[in-house]
Amino acid sequence: MDLNYSPEDVAYRKQVRTWLERNLPFSPPRTLEERKVWHRKLYEGGFLGMGWPKEYGGQGARPMEQAIVADEMAHAAAPAPTNGLGLGIVGPTIVVHGNEWQKKRYLRKILTAEEMWCQLYSEPNSGSDLASLKTSAEDKGDHFMVNGQKIWTSGGKVADWGLLLARTDPKVPKHKGITCFLMSMRQPGVEVRPLKQITGSAEFCEVFMTNARVEKENQIGKLGEGWAIANTTLGYERGGRSLARISGYAAQYHRLVGAAKKLMRNGRPLMESPTVRQRLGKIWADLEVERYNALRVLTQLEKGEHPGAGGSLTKLSYSEFEKRFMEVAQEILGPYGQLTDGAPAELALEIDTAVGEMGTWAYGFLWSRAGTIYAGSSEIQKNVIGERILGLPKESRADRGGAR
Amino acid sequence: MNFSFSDDQVLLKNSVRALLDEHCKPEHVRAMMDDKTGYGEPLWGEMAKLGWLGLPFPEQYGGAGLGLVELALIHEEMGRAAYPGPFLASVVLGGFPILLGGSAAQKEKWLPAIASGRARLSAALQEDRLDCDPAGITTTAARAGDGWALTGVKRFVPWAHVADALLVPARGPEGLSLFLVDPKGAGAALKPVTGMDLTTRWSELRLDGARVGADALVGGAGGGGAILESTLRRAAVCASAEMLGAARRSLDMAVGYAKVREQFGQLIGTFQAIRHKCAEMLMEVENSHSAVYYAAWALEAGAEDAAIAASICKSYVSESARKVCGEAIQVHGGIGFTWEYDLHLYFKRAKSLEVQFGDAEYHRELIARHVSSAS
Ligand SMILES: Cc1cc2nc3c(=O)[nH]c(=O)nc-3n(C[C@H](O)[C@H](O)[C@H](O)COP(=O)(O)OP(=O)(O)OC[C@H]3O[C@@H](n4cnc5c(N)ncnc54)[C@H](O)[C@@H]3O)c2cc1C
Repeated sequence: MDLNYSPEDVAYRKQVRTWLERNLPFSPPRTLEERKVWHRKLYEGGFLGMGWPKEYGGQGARPMEQAIVADEMAHAAAPAPTNGLGLGIVGPTIVVHGNEWQKKRYLRKILTAEEMWCQLYSEPNSGSDLASLKTSAEDKGDHFMVNGQKIWTSGGKVADWGLLLARTDPKVPKHKGITCFLMSMRQPGVEVRPLKQITGSAEFCEVFMTNARVEKENQIGKLGEGWAIANTTLGYERGGRSLARISGYAAQYHRLVGAAKKLMRNGRPLMESPTVRQRLGKIWADLEVERYNALRVLTQLEKGEHPGAGGSLTKLSYSEFEKRFMEVAQEILGPYGQLTDGAPAELALEIDTAVGEMGTWAYGFLWSRAGTIYAGSSEIQKNVIGERILGLPKESRADRGGAR
Repeated sequence: MNFSFSDDQVLLKNSVRALLDEHCKPEHVRAMMDDKTGYGEPLWGEMAKLGWLGLPFPEQYGGAGLGLVELALIHEEMGRAAYPGPFLASVVLGGFPILLGGSAAQKEKWLPAIASGRARLSAALQEDRLDCDPAGITTTAARAGDGWALTGVKRFVPWAHVADALLVPARGPEGLSLFLVDPKGAGAALKPVTGMDLTTRWSELRLDGARVGADALVGGAGGGGAILESTLRRAAVCASAEMLGAARRSLDMAVGYAKVREQFGQLIGTFQAIRHKCAEMLMEVENSHSAVYYAAWALEAGAEDAAIAASICKSYVSESARKVCGEAIQVHGGIGFTWEYDLHLYFKRAKSLEVQFGDAEYHRELIARHVSSAS
């Protein structure tokens, strides 16, 4: 057990920090085009697709190096790259399950943001029970014809391509008839309608597919094996950003303490109130525990072990922590915490958001409700932990074993 | 960066578990609950032979020269077994102040005696204010001849009734100082008190001008504060390791029960209310594991954040262990509420450690001070 970083890791961190100091944009990119420019710069610096094989534009880097880069970006409040789903989910899926042609065709363009991606999994009636999805892909000889509706599609509006799960065989048990595809979003059969989120911004969408076309070359893996692929994809949503997430929380936390020193209640600064001190003390302890957890996960990844169901524990822990943290922040800031505009400048209430932009506590608070829903809700994680780690008996479920 | 145990550490953990599985079964724990001293000499001797009692001391004093991670591993196993005895008291509360601040003569005299099991020590850290902060200590030390006279009341002194010497912090003309006091000596009176955790023994210590020689002073006049703080941090982490062990044992029992107990024609583990509870308990246990071993490593390595890591550890584990041990009772239903069933041993152990060496609230205040100056 040695929780010091190795000299190589320390040196690498320094190198990344220097690069960021030299290359950080003066003002944060606002438009998609500006974001793509910054994205491209990150790519050229060697900081995107770090774990992907070199021959497709990746870096073949160690998990620790990936974590250090993400962490340094969080420290520098660097804007995030765009194409998050391409980098985080679609790319890794193609790396693992795609064929040679698909790797050559798609991976580099994800890294350069020439092609933007979204994830077409959830449907109005298939969320946690994703395997019940109904969108169909029918074999038309030279292509597949897709019909159905997807929902909660993040980034759907700007996406050129989507990673799609669709049913290719309605007659077999539900987990067996699903296939994974890469589908062009730029075609007449695909209609995208933005959905406004509780934060007020429209970041996810509904996607309607009417006789949409998927070429045969864009089927990922074997016919009917999409469910297994989807399950590995969900695993990618955790892991490499572990340290960066905590550094982001820490930056917000220090701002909260700063605000608590300035805000007055009952004639004295909030930071002098014992109850506020207790809440802040608890949150810092919880936050640090999440950092220790991140180090444990990194230890595993560095040894080449996959956290497996252990990833459910990590995700449950940090996403629930984020909610507690933001609730405490709101309790401390009172109405100031709810402002989305017009906060007194001297209170310095802005915070770094997850995507490397300045935002408000109100936004952070609202956004904290998302983490325990997407990528497997907390309840689903607890089911996984119970069954797969603790070995508790499986729930009797209406759908077990039988056909849909 | 490596957050996993070395092969040697795993070996140590396994051997500790094997010994306690054999010699510290619940029957033994229960027998000791009714015992006058509260612990068994044969097991104590066995632990001495295996080198546990001198684990963190240098080899020249009969120790094993190991670190806090190893010590935490032992404590976790002891929590798991609800081991009754003055291990933490003697090795940590007694050993560390002497190791950190003792004179050569004091080290020669006491460390080998602790390591061999010949002597048992403890420390009298709490007073009426129940304040863990050394700054709050009111017991006085007045010069008397070439020695000192100590006056004051100490509460909740662990295992004092079987201790050969107690480390007693007292305020003298030069400030807070630490003294080695014979609890059976003139001017000292011990009164055992009984807590709900019968595997832990506490006494009240009254010092009424108790005389000690000049050689009883540990760490020089006015030099007690720093030694005490370092010792408290180590004790807080070792106590947390014990709570972690108690919590893990409780979780194991809860999960085991959920796999065999049937109601409404199903195993209770199929009910989400039970399964989700167990998942949350595991999350708390794993988080506690992270907190304990991070802090143990940080203290041993002298990491920059060592002091705050100890407070994070104690504040986190104090509450999470209580929660996990309590929820294990809930998962068991009525049988979990019986004296015969062993769950209450771990529940009570966790509860008694929760209030020692600073409770969650105390440590959160330390954390708040730290972040307030850092932000
Ligand atoms: C911000 C955000 C972005 C998203 N982006 C995308 C995206 O890009 N692409 C995409 O495909 N999807 C995306 N999603 C969708 C997300 O994956 C789903 O919301 C999630 O899978 C939950 O499904 P649902 O919303 O249908 O809720 P439901 O599954 O209907 O769940 C409702 C409630 O029931 C509980 N529940 C369900 N099943 C069980 C069970 N077996 N045991 C106990 N409790 C249960 C849930 O935990 C939840 O509390 C996004 C969601 C959010 C919030």
